[in-house]
Amino acid sequence: MRDPYTVLGVDPSASDDEVKKAYRELARKYHPDNYQNNPLADLAEEKMKEINEAYDAVTKQRGGGAASSGPQASGAYYQQQQQYGGGNPTYARVRSCINAGDIDTAERLLGEVPNRTGEWYFLAGSIAYRRGWLDEAAQNYSIACQMEPGNLEYRQALSLMRQGGQAYRSANFSGGMDTLDCCTTMMCLNCLCGGGRC
Amino acid sequence: MFGYVRPVVPELKCKDFDLYKATYCGLCRTLRKRYGIFAPLFLNYDFTFLALLLHEAEPRLAFSMGRCHANPFRKCEMCIESDSLNAAADESIILTYWKLRDSISDDTGWRGLSSRFFALILKPAYQKAARRSPNFDALTQTCLSDLARMERDNCPSLDRPADAFARILQGAALEEPAPARRRVLEELFYHLGRWIYLLDAWDDVQADLSAGNYNPIAARFGDAGGEENLTATLNHSLNLMRSAFQLGEFGCRSALIENILYLGLPLIQRAVFDGSWGELKKQRIWSNKR
Repeated sequence: MRDPYTVLGVDPSASDDEVKKAYRELARKYHPDNYQNNPLADLAEEKMKEINEAYDAVTKQRGGGAASSGPQASGAYYQQQQQYGGGNPTYARVRSCINAGDIDTAERLLGEVPNRTGEWYFLAGSIAYRRGWLDEAAQNYSIACQMEPGNLEYRQALSLMRQGGQAYRSANFSGGMDTLDCCTTMMCLNCLCGGGRC
Repeated sequence: MFGYVRPVVPELKCKDFDLYKATYCGLCRTLRKRYGIFAPLFLNYDFTFLALLLHEAEPRLAFSMGRCHANPFRKCEMCIESDSLNAAADESIILTYWKLRDSISDDTGWRGLSSRFFALILKPAYQKAARRSPNFDALTQTCLSDLARMERDNCPSLDRPADAFARILQGAALEEPAPARRRVLEELFYHLGRWIYLLDAWDDVQADLSAGNYNPIAARFGDAGGEENLTATLNHSLNLMRSAFQLGEFGCRSALIENILYLGLPLIQRAVFDGSWGELKKQRIWSNKR
């Protein structure tokens, strides 16, 4: 395992607060929300695991006092696996192929499904998204939403497309550059502190 | 290629500006050494970004002093020679050559003639580069013929022609040995290519419509524009580039690359949309003077 302080990017002489701050910033950077259905999601997950372990190790070294009051070190930001239940068994297989990154198989399986439901279009959108075909992904998500307007998963996917995705943005770059900033809370904080150019 | 990819200089730290210049000059020297005196003519900011991304991560910039090709009386800092810089030079030559070939078949008259002239000058360099990077050359040719086919068929999709172009840039990471880093670079290059292709298509949409040429944006949205959809999809590509970038190690180059990804590209995108790109394009970035 790499030196936990190197992983967190702080000096071993840093105060507990500085360590916590560095950890939070990194957790924000590799947050699963920034890597939804992203072909690199597994790499982000590894990074997240690494910083969680590093933070655990540092808090333990320092007497463990901060661990309980800290940002619930392991898995605080980490677990976001969704459960998909019921429905067409082919769809479940398509989903697992997409998650495993086997996009061609997913597409072939989906092509064999005779009638196209809202979920069919949602999965077609997810496949397009993994290829980087963002416009076709948006079109498919939008059909899925029209067919099943009540489905939260589809609506979330579509709204991510409408806002143009999201990525981590450090404080240096958060000042009013994009109208659709990834992190509304950061903007609000900026306004409150009078920083940035909101 | 297009010159869309550049940093926002006033927002750069001095050391990052020096790093940018050292990369530009280093790539220029590599082009000259590997491909002769004409090759540096084709150097541009896009290729500099390619070299920045491909460069091995190092904590501090390693540079040497060398004479400027354009002005031999001046000495400047240059990145030291490396495999990644060589790869960037090879790929730049191949991309430029095929871009010129492409304009020969597209443009008529004066522009077509100048493309012909430059392609002729560049041909020996291209042949050498194709021998050094046969995989990248083959990939470029395949993707360009896919693209030509879609143009002929008036393909109504935005993503498919962009994909053909994006796969070319993605191929720039082909020789990267570490699998995780290769995946990061592939994702980054893919969306860089997609972004460049679509932005260029938007920039050309009026000219293409009046000349009756294929344009993916006109084919997808008709005359109605589609500006909002296009902005969202371009921003999305930018965000995917940034997410990929955060997963890679770029050492001392991180801040500079971040400047380009978070400030430079969005600035150019806005300029292309509001029509000020033509002016901006002429600005040189080596001085702060306007």
